[in-house]
Amino acid sequence: MAKAMTLLWATGSCPCWRVMIALEEKNLQGYNQKLLSFDKMEHKSKEVLDINPRGQIPTFKHGDNVINESYAACFYLESQFKSQGTKLIPDGPAEQALMYQRMFEGLTFYEKLTTVAYYEWYVPEGERHESALKRNKEALVTELKLWESYLQKLGSGSYLAGPSFTLADVVVFPTVGALFGFGLSPERYPKLGEYYSLLKERPSVKASWPPHWLENPKDEDKLKDALKDI
Amino acid sequence: MAKDMTLWWGSGSPPCWRVLIALEEKNLQGYNQKLLSFEKGEHKSKEVMDVNPRGQLPAFKFGDIVINESYGACFFLESKFKSQGTKLIPDCAGSDNNCALIALIMQRVFEGNTLHQKMADVFMYNRRVPENERHESAFKRLKETLTTELQMWEGHLKKTPGGFLAGENFSMADVIVFPSVALLLRMGLSEDKYPKLAEYYKKLQGRPSVKATWPPTWKETPGQELLKDI
Repeated sequence: MAKAMTLLWATGSCPCWRVMIALEEKNLQGYNQKLLSFDKMEHKSKEVLDINPRGQIPTFKHGDNVINESYAACFYLESQFKSQGTKLIPDGPAEQALMYQRMFEGLTFYEKLTTVAYYEWYVPEGERHESALKRNKEALVTELKLWESYLQKLGSGSYLAGPSFTLADVVVFPTVGALFGFGLSPERYPKLGEYYSLLKERPSVKASWPPHWLENPKDEDKLKDALKDI
Repeated sequence: MAKDMTLWWGSGSPPCWRVLIALEEKNLQGYNQKLLSFEKGEHKSKEVMDVNPRGQLPAFKFGDIVINESYGACFFLESKFKSQGTKLIPDCAGSDNNCALIALIMQRVFEGNTLHQKMADVFMYNRRVPENERHESAFKRLKETLTTELQMWEGHLKKTPGGFLAGENFSMADVIVFPSVALLLRMGLSEDKYPKLAEYYKKLQGRPSVKATWPPTWKETPGQELLKDI
């Protein structure tokens, strides 16, 4: 099963991490994997473009099935391997609905993180504005407070959709991991801090923890405190 | 069932339209609905904020369940009402063909998010970016990015002879993506430059769920020309 799978990934990429957590949760260790370098533009190599014309990672293959969208790969794995590993989509309608709600809010959450953490990667020098970055930070703060309130309502020890670990945690935890990796303060965001502490011990998360948040140690050093004051 | 559902929506908004189509496809006509005006700021009204603290549409309630993410609502409806109406996502079990189909459907469903974002980056540029932060170079780049994206979808449609996004049958991919394609045509996308997208648009226009949910404001006013040179 896992031997028929290949994942092309890069360190510090939340979308890649989502798929890796899903593979671990579904007991699919042993998949073929190749670590690529963004800095060397390996995501635009022929090897990737042959499977993913968008030149993006993660790029995932299972036999002849190619899926280059992290959420799609996670849904596919849960569907294909429903009866093995962790059950990632709960049956109860209320819990399932909350899972879907949080999963898709997770896309917004990740986007707000990237507009701050990767601002200089996305915006060419001549187009950058302090006012824009400030606004992006304010939007991220609003978003963080929303997730604090979600976790507050569910109580300590809870996962995003309730008492069980679900696909919502698979796709959203990487964003939370990255936030703390970039210096987010657990004092200011205690519920997120608690959630982070809970999930970071989970075997699937430990097994797939990114070796680095950013490939270049200088970049990583620059960004490690990027979020400490927000 | 439908009587326990309420949808708050805006005319022509692809996220809202996705849920409207899903409800029709799952034979859930008869749901309660409230048509609101973005121009009048009704998405920020107390009525909506009570259901969706983000002040966004669609907002969807089913008994005590609340899902304010269009993808979330569509996935939930398919899951909860799997055995009625159109099957939007096949079951994986027992068939390699079905698994390949699920992979393709999921891939297109999530690429649909990228398509919508790239469209919004162009139409909403002036609304999102304060005047002193706007750059011709940035807007030009966003248009080029949209062009590349649209060419990719032309390519996708050339490869699926069945005429639907994932092959011969209507699926979740069409529920999610068709509204964005319709909006592109409404905004003046050239049918000559994008013949496959135009063909897809015309084919889906005739589908009962699409006809039943065609944006009311589109019937009253002509489209725009914003995208005619893309």
